[in-house]
Amino acid sequence: MALVDVKGVSKRFGGLTAVSDVDLTVSAGEVHCLIGPNGAGKSTLFKLIVGLYPPTTGSIFFDSVDITAERPYARVQRGMSIKMQAPSVFKELPVRQNIQIALQERLSGAECRTEEERLLALLNLAEDSGKLAGALSHGQQQWLEIGMALALQPQLLLLDEPTAGMSPEETYKTGELIKSFNAEGMTVLVVEHDMAFVRQVAQRITVLHLGKIFARGSLDAILEDEKVAEIYLGKTHAH
Amino acid sequence: MSAELFSLFYQFADVFAFLILSAAGLAIVFGMMGVINMAHGEFIMCGAYVTVGLVNLGVPLPIAQILAALTAGIIGMIVELLIVRRFYKRPLDSLLATWGLSLIVTQSMLLIVGSAVRGIGTPEGSFAIGGYTFSTYRLVLFGCAVAVLAGLYIIFMKTRFGVIARATMQNAAMAKALGARTGRIYSISFGIGTALAGLCGALYAPTMTLIPTMGATFVVESFVTVVIGGANVLLGTAPAAVFLAMIRMALNASYGQIIGQIGMLFAVILIIRVLPEGLSSVLVRRGR
Amino acid sequence: MLKLLDGPQTLGRGKIFWSCFLAVLAGALIYPLFADSYDVGNFAYFLIWIFMALGLCLMWGYGGMLSFGQTFFFGIAGYGYGVLAINMGGGTATIAALVLSVIIAMIAAGILGYFMIWGGISGIFFGIVTLSATLVLAFFLGQTAGPEWHIGPARLNGFNGMKGMDPLTVGSFDIEGAALYYLMIALIVIVYVALRMLVNSSIGNVIVATRENPQRAEMLGYDVRKYQLLTFVIGSGLAGLSGALYTSWGQFITPSSIGLPAAAMPIVWVAFSGRNDLTATLVGSFLLLFGFQTITVYSQQAALVLMGVLLLATVMLAPQGFVLGIGKLVVDWWTRRRRRDEAPALADASRLQSDET
Repeated sequence: MALVDVKGVSKRFGGLTAVSDVDLTVSAGEVHCLIGPNGAGKSTLFKLIVGLYPPTTGSIFFDSVDITAERPYARVQRGMSIKMQAPSVFKELPVRQNIQIALQERLSGAECRTEEERLLALLNLAEDSGKLAGALSHGQQQWLEIGMALALQPQLLLLDEPTAGMSPEETYKTGELIKSFNAEGMTVLVVEHDMAFVRQVAQRITVLHLGKIFARGSLDAILEDEKVAEIYLGKTHAH
Repeated sequence: MSAELFSLFYQFADVFAFLILSAAGLAIVFGMMGVINMAHGEFIMCGAYVTVGLVNLGVPLPIAQILAALTAGIIGMIVELLIVRRFYKRPLDSLLATWGLSLIVTQSMLLIVGSAVRGIGTPEGSFAIGGYTFSTYRLVLFGCAVAVLAGLYIIFMKTRFGVIARATMQNAAMAKALGARTGRIYSISFGIGTALAGLCGALYAPTMTLIPTMGATFVVESFVTVVIGGANVLLGTAPAAVFLAMIRMALNASYGQIIGQIGMLFAVILIIRVLPEGLSSVLVRRGR
Repeated sequence: MLKLLDGPQTLGRGKIFWSCFLAVLAGALIYPLFADSYDVGNFAYFLIWIFMALGLCLMWGYGGMLSFGQTFFFGIAGYGYGVLAINMGGGTATIAALVLSVIIAMIAAGILGYFMIWGGISGIFFGIVTLSATLVLAFFLGQTAGPEWHIGPARLNGFNGMKGMDPLTVGSFDIEGAALYYLMIALIVIVYVALRMLVNSSIGNVIVATRENPQRAEMLGYDVRKYQLLTFVIGSGLAGLSGALYTSWGQFITPSSIGLPAAAMPIVWVAFSGRNDLTATLVGSFLLLFGFQTITVYSQQAALVLMGVLLLATVMLAPQGFVLGIGKLVVDWWTRRRRRDEAPALADASRLQSDET
C-alpha cells in the first residue's frame, strides 16, 4: 500500500525547474532511499512532501488523502516528520527541552519523563541533556534532530542527509537505529550521499537526476545499473 | 474638464511627493543594510532646522536646502560609524539603538531650542487653471520626488559605486571577497539615506511649523511605504507610493487628512495579509 | 500546577528566591502603614505600568515578537474605560468597564495580530507596523477636539484628553489611594505568577520554540501562528489592563500616553531590564519608573533623554539587559563563593550540602 504518492509534481523557482514532473511512491513499511548528484532536486522534493514549498503543478497524497494544499503542521499531525538537511534544532534551549517540545503533544507527566530519558539514552545525549542544543557538535545536533523527529512516532520519517558530519561508527549506528525503527513498522524515506549507508539501510531506491526520476528499483538492481553509475556512482567514486 | 483632471493630478502629485520624499532615505538604508533607521524622522528634522537656520542667516532657499541635505548626510555617516555599524548582524538591535538615538535627539532639541522656531513661510507663487488655483511650490516638490527617483536610478544602475553597492546588497561576503570595501559602501549608503531624509526635511521646512518632534509627522508614511514596498527602492518604494497615494488622495478628498491616513494604514494591513512579501514580489518575480 | 512556577523559562527558583519574593511582597503590603498617602498614590502609579512591561516581556523575550504597539492597546483600553465608565454611569459598573475595556483591547490585538501573523510579518516589520498603528491612533485622537467627536456623553476632547469618568468603584466605595495600591499589588502578584506558569507550561514551551526556530516548531506539528496570536493577544491585553487602570487612577487620558515618546517607554524598560526573564522585567521596570518619575519632577525632557541613553547603552553594552546581566553575575558570584567556601573546609562541606537538600 502506498503511504506517500507524489503525482506529476513540478517545482519551478523563477526560471529554474528544480523538480520536473516527478512521480514517487513510497510503500508503507519500507526504507526508501532517494539518491542523486548534487542539484538533482532531492531536498526540494522533500520540502514539497512536507509542505515547505507549494508545488507548481501536481499533487501529493499521504495515506490516500490529498495533502497538496495542507500546511506543514497539518501534514506532521497526519503522521510524518522530518529531519532537515542543515541541523534545525532550538539552539538556545537545553537539549532536554528540545526533546520535551517534540514529545509533549503525545505524552505528558511521568510517561513523558520516561520517554525523554529513553530517547536521550538512545541518542547518546543523556550526559549533555542540560547543555544548550547550540553547544552540541554538528553530529550531535543531527542526532538530536533525528530524536525530535522520532519523538513524534511518525508513520513516515523523512531524513535529509542524516549522517552528514558523522564518523563512520556514528553513521553505522544511525543506520542500525533506522532499521530498528523500520522493523517496528515505521516507513522511512532517506536522502543520502553516503553509499555505504544506503547499502546498509535501503530496501528500494529512487535515483533523481536534473529534477527528473532517472531510475528506480531494488538496491541490487540500482547498484548494477550502469547508467546510474555513470551519472552518480562514478562521481561519488571520483571524490 | 482638463482643469478637473489637472486638479486630480495635482492632488496625487502632492501625496506622492510626500510619500517618496519621506520614504526614499529609509528605503535605501533598509534595502542596503536591512536596517530600519528609527532616527529617520530626526534626520528629517535636522534637514528642516538647518534649512531654516541658513535662510534666516540670508542664504538663498535652494542653496540652504542642498546644504541641509549634505549636513544630514554627513551626520548620518558619523552615526553609521559610531553606532549603526555594530548592528548589521542584529537588525532588531539596530532598530532599538536608532530609536534610543531618536529619543535623545528629539528631547535634547526640546531642551535646547524649545518647542517652536520661527518658520520661513512657503515660497509664494501660484498659478490658475480653469477655476482652480495651485501652489507652484507643491509642484516643485513633486518634481524633486521624481528627481530623487531618477537620481537613485542613475546612482545605483549607472555608476561604479552602484554596481558594487548592488553586489554588496545581494551577497556582502562575496562582494567583500572580490575586493569591495563593504564598510565604505555601507557608510556611503547610510549617508545617502540620511541625506535624503535631510532633503525631505529641507523641502518641507517652508511649508510647516518647526518643532523638534516634527519627524513623527513623516515616519508613519515612510514606514508604511517601506513595509509594502520592500527592499527595492525603484521597483518597490516607487510603485508602493503610487498605490498609497491613490488611496490617500481618494480618502483625503472626501473625508479629510486623518481618515486618509487611517485608510492608508488599513490598506497596508490588508496588503501584508494578501501579499506577505510586499508589492515588489508581484512586480519582480524573483525566484527563491 | 504549582510545579510550573519554576522551570527552565524563568530565572529565580528554590527556597532562597521565593523567600526573597515573600519578603518583598510583605514589605509592599505593610508599606502604606508607614508612608503618607501621597507616596502610596505615587507607588500605585508606578505599578500601573508594570503590566504593560510584563506583556511586552512575554511577547518579545519569550515569543520573539517585538511589538512597538503596547501604547496602542494601552490607549484603546484607556479610552475604552473612559467611554464605558461615562456611558454606564459609574458606581460598580466601573468594574465592568475595566473588564470590558481590556477585552476590547484584546479583540483589537486579535484583529491586528491576525493580519500581521497570518501575513507572515515578523522581525523588524512587526515593530514598524505596530508602531504605525500606534502613531495613527495618537494622531487621530489628537484631532478629535471638536464637539462632534463623542461617544454618548463621553467627549474625546483632542489633545486635552478625555476626563470626567469615575475611578474604579464598588458600591459607593471608590478604589483610590491605599485601596488602589493594594488592588495593584494583588493584580501584579496574580499576573506575575500566572505568566510564570504560562511560560513554564507546554504552551510556553511552544512559544519559546517558535521564537527560536518557527520552522522547526511547525515541523513538530504546531500551528505556530496560533501560538503567536495567543502570545500577542495576552501581551497586548496586559497593556490594555495598564491603560484602563491608568485612566481610572487619574480620571483622565490624553493622546500623549499613546504616541511618541510614550510608545518607546515599554521598550526601554524591558530592554534595560532583560527581556528574557519576567522577574528581571518586573524589578527593572519598577526601578526605571521610580527613577524616571524622580527626574521628571525637574525636567521631563531630561528624563526622556536619559531613557534614550539607557536604551542605546543597553543595546551597545548589554544586549540581554542590565538587570538580567547583574542578576546573573550575582548568582554566579554566589555559587562561586559557595564553592570556594566548600573547598578548604571539607568538614563543613557535608553540612552545607545537607542544608541544601
